[in-house]
Amino acid sequence: MKMRLIVTLVGATILMTLASLWMGQQAYTWFPPQASAESELIDDLFSFLTALGTFIFLGVAGTLGYSVLFSRAGRYDYSDGPPIEGNITLEIVWTAIPFALVIWIAAYSYQVYEQMDVRGPMEMVHLHMPATMEAAYAEPMDDSLPDSLPDSPTAGLPSARIAVQAKQWAWIFHYPGENGQDITSTELHLPVDHRIKLELTSDDVLHGLYIPAFRLKQDIIPNKTIDFEFTPTRIGTYRLRDSQYSGTYFAAMQADVVVESPQAYQSWLADAANRAPSPAYNRAAFEYNRAAEQTIVRGWETIPPAPPPIVNFAPKQAPDSPPV
Amino acid sequence: MANLSVEALDGNRAQPYPGAPDNWKRFFSFSTDHKVIGIQYIVTSFIFFLVGGLFAMIIRGELITPEANLVDRTIYNAMFTMHGSVMLFLWTFPVLVGLANYLVPLMIGARDMAFPRLNAAAFWMVPVVGVLMMGSFFVPGGPSQSGWWAYPPVSLQNPTGNLINGQVLWLLAVAISGVSSIMGAVNFVTTIFKMRAPGMTFFRMPAFVWTVLAAQLIQLFGLPALTAGAVMLLLDIVAGTSFFRPENGGNPVLYQHFFWFYSHPAVYVIVLPVFGIFSELFPVYARKPLFGYRVVAVSSLIITGLSGIVWVHHMYASGTPGWMRMLFMFTTMSISVPTGIKVFAWVATAFGGKLRLDTPMLFAMAGVVNFVFAGITGIMLGSVPVDIHVNNTYFVVGHFHYVVYGTVVFGIYAAIYHWFPKMTGRMYYEGLGKVHFWLTWLGTTLNFLPMHPAGLMGMPRRVASYDPEFAFWNVLASLGGFLLGLSTLPFILNMVSSWIQGEKAGNNPWRAIGLEWLISSPPPVENFEHLPIVIAEPYGYGKDEPLVSNLAELAESPG
Amino acid sequence: MTSEASIANQIESGIVEEHNEEANSKFGFWVFLLSESVIFLSFFAGYIVYKTTSTDWLPAGVEGLDTRDPAINTVVLISSSFVIYVAERFLHDKRLWGFRFFLLATMLMGSYFLYGQAVEWRGLEFGLTSGLYGATFYLLTGFHGLHVMTGVLLQTIMFFRSFIPGNYDKSSFGVDATSLFWHFVDVIWIILYGLIYVWQ
Repeated sequence: MKMRLIVTLVGATILMTLASLWMGQQAYTWFPPQASAESELIDDLFSFLTALGTFIFLGVAGTLGYSVLFSRAGRYDYSDGPPIEGNITLEIVWTAIPFALVIWIAAYSYQVYEQMDVRGPMEMVHLHMPATMEAAYAEPMDDSLPDSLPDSPTAGLPSARIAVQAKQWAWIFHYPGENGQDITSTELHLPVDHRIKLELTSDDVLHGLYIPAFRLKQDIIPNKTIDFEFTPTRIGTYRLRDSQYSGTYFAAMQADVVVESPQAYQSWLADAANRAPSPAYNRAAFEYNRAAEQTIVRGWETIPPAPPPIVNFAPKQAPDSPPV
Repeated sequence: MANLSVEALDGNRAQPYPGAPDNWKRFFSFSTDHKVIGIQYIVTSFIFFLVGGLFAMIIRGELITPEANLVDRTIYNAMFTMHGSVMLFLWTFPVLVGLANYLVPLMIGARDMAFPRLNAAAFWMVPVVGVLMMGSFFVPGGPSQSGWWAYPPVSLQNPTGNLINGQVLWLLAVAISGVSSIMGAVNFVTTIFKMRAPGMTFFRMPAFVWTVLAAQLIQLFGLPALTAGAVMLLLDIVAGTSFFRPENGGNPVLYQHFFWFYSHPAVYVIVLPVFGIFSELFPVYARKPLFGYRVVAVSSLIITGLSGIVWVHHMYASGTPGWMRMLFMFTTMSISVPTGIKVFAWVATAFGGKLRLDTPMLFAMAGVVNFVFAGITGIMLGSVPVDIHVNNTYFVVGHFHYVVYGTVVFGIYAAIYHWFPKMTGRMYYEGLGKVHFWLTWLGTTLNFLPMHPAGLMGMPRRVASYDPEFAFWNVLASLGGFLLGLSTLPFILNMVSSWIQGEKAGNNPWRAIGLEWLISSPPPVENFEHLPIVIAEPYGYGKDEPLVSNLAELAESPG
Repeated sequence: MTSEASIANQIESGIVEEHNEEANSKFGFWVFLLSESVIFLSFFAGYIVYKTTSTDWLPAGVEGLDTRDPAINTVVLISSSFVIYVAERFLHDKRLWGFRFFLLATMLMGSYFLYGQAVEWRGLEFGLTSGLYGATFYLLTGFHGLHVMTGVLLQTIMFFRSFIPGNYDKSSFGVDATSLFWHFVDVIWIILYGLIYVWQ
């Protein structure tokens, strides 16, 4: 009898482990493509958490399901179950194991965070936060985090510095040109495998820079400049979305991110520099200026969107133009 | 004791004695009977649950297609703002206060709450909050459209320029709701500390009372912080100060600290009593004592303590320093230990018992499974690197709906079914209850599970329009949302018709152990003719021991 | 009947029933004050964050606050805590005229504090909208001032209720609570004074 219980438990554990490992592998398919150095780290961490979570979920739900199937009271059975009030050993075990698990998860997360830090973005964020912190963190930013590290895939490549301006409801990207020229675009072009440095600013309210394919996100706070770094690793076109609710046309505040080879990037930049600034298509302004005929119910008064940004480069096919 | 029976006949406590014709008018009066107030809370908040649900269905209707084509964007934004506000301030908070109001005095063997008039006053503020929230639809500019977080500077923007606008009314409503909650919290804490029946020591209190205590303590230390933030926000809007106005040197991130210092613990204010409900129901329907009762009881207070030091996990992407992110990641994850203790205790209670799957138990078990799922996604969100990706996406929306719907609403339904015979003296229809359960379960899964993949793919929350790549998951979620709307119909039908003409239930239809089950259904005014003298721990299933020493005296009907 | 039950019965008839109302009210009032103090703590926390992180803290042309008059105000308010305690003792000994005298003295001292506060506000060259400095100053002193006003109001009610024959014979909860509230207002002021006037 005891033997049978042990075999059942071991069998169940093996099945659950296999299922969890399978789920952990599946987790990778739930994400957009991995397009930055940071995304691999995060996906690995998420896969690990999925596997662990699946195991716990199956354990709890399975035990409850087992009770439902095999411990039901008979129709006319009005007796009580065994008066078991607890089990000290069991209770210690199920306090200690979760405790150890969360320490493990937190330590692993911390490690990933540190690695991301080395490769780019996070620690920069608060550099331009409250004045006192600025002093404390300003030095390490310039010295201890060199553009390229020996073990990083971006070793030896120059970095690109781009200013990101967010406003209700448009993204404008400023590239430094020759002779102090300010090259502007409503599409974010990035050279692949280069360390990217963004300077995030907002004209009005909180916004959030979010590029799902890079797994990166940072709130943008008005009256502050926030440095943000990362390394795109895959050529392609991705979406940039506003992730911090910013008012009426929040959902329309999207832009395309084009990651291209350094040569293509350079020629794009040179081409953009030679174009005369012209108004770009802006979905919020477009919708605002159109009468409310599209919707069934008229809306309330809103903060008017900023006029369409005047930029050197705007994508021919507006990324967020309404369906034709 | 005779003088007390005279007091019991006070006019404003007009609850009939058992057998007397039911006087429904008392539910519309300033009654000070905790049982009347409890039912007033539950029914009022359920009406607002339907209102909030209607908003949710408009949201889901808009999101069934990628374009913003059902309602104007301003209306959509007002919908999700009011959906969140109504569901929290007018449904989950008050309905659980209502359940606690009804049950706590009965469970600890008291004749009423410590401050009955304060109790009634606290309840009657809820309709005022409701009127203000609904009234904000009719002011120029419409209701608040800044989300239920009301983050500045968006919440400071006032397109109409009116002083009386949706945001101001919203802040007033939240402030009144806060006053009501503080009054309730003072009342509950005093009642639990000072009004316990003889022999009702802390470790003889039912787990539900422990969780109510833990939850109300959170209200006491958390709500004032929100009040402080709300006062400053209100001054920014109406008096021209610049606490949170960045253009004048204000600090909008500070508001987020004030807000989340309360609003994260607020989740525990909601979920702790539901944990208590699970702890009450599992022993009854498994016919076994609650496994590890004392640890389960104490773990509630540990959660209270930890809930005060985790708030920054809502702000990982807000521009918080690295050390803060790491610190709060560790504290956040540590909360899973006391909650894990509870989950394992419920599972162990059911294991090897004699399970009876009546509607309350179905809801309770499904609620626990949903909660485990929500807990796992919660740990993922607690991990800073993962959160950097999924913060403010539908993954978060899915996670917390698994908490507030999958766990909390399931627990509330379980509690209402379980104590319905006690509150009304009649039994609900089991068949309709089961239909309700399966519709709710299917709707919940269909509505909230697809939100997780949508979020992982990068769909931000609060969007009125989205890229077509997310359409598949949104269609599923919308269908689930409409199904959840439908699922309330069998519930309402069940409750109304069984209250009117259901079978008489008797004092203890579940053969449950607990003070509330020793007296008549519905209990008389002042509950106990003689106060019970408690001589045993709760949940003595299978032990064949008496709970009180004066059982015969309790049931006497007053002359 | 078991011995446990008989003891419990005594408790029931003796304590639980009649006398509890006042004990409950006192307990409840303590709980309320602890909760109320968190609002002040939140404002203090906000003040500290603003003061330590703000780049231009003082509005243009403002040197800082004069500390002499507020110091007198502080002494008056803190001494009034002792005066109301004396009033409470008189009531405890059922000497109503002594109680009334010292309660009136407390009310006068509280009113003097409010007057002093008003004079200070009028003399300041910055307003509520003068940056974070002005906003936090008026928020903290104003919110505290509201509490002082509430305290004086409560004292007034207690004062007049002492003329109702036999009003305080059964229970002096109202006076106890008023007094407790007054001490609370005082303690908050001491912290506030330290934050705003001492730490400049």
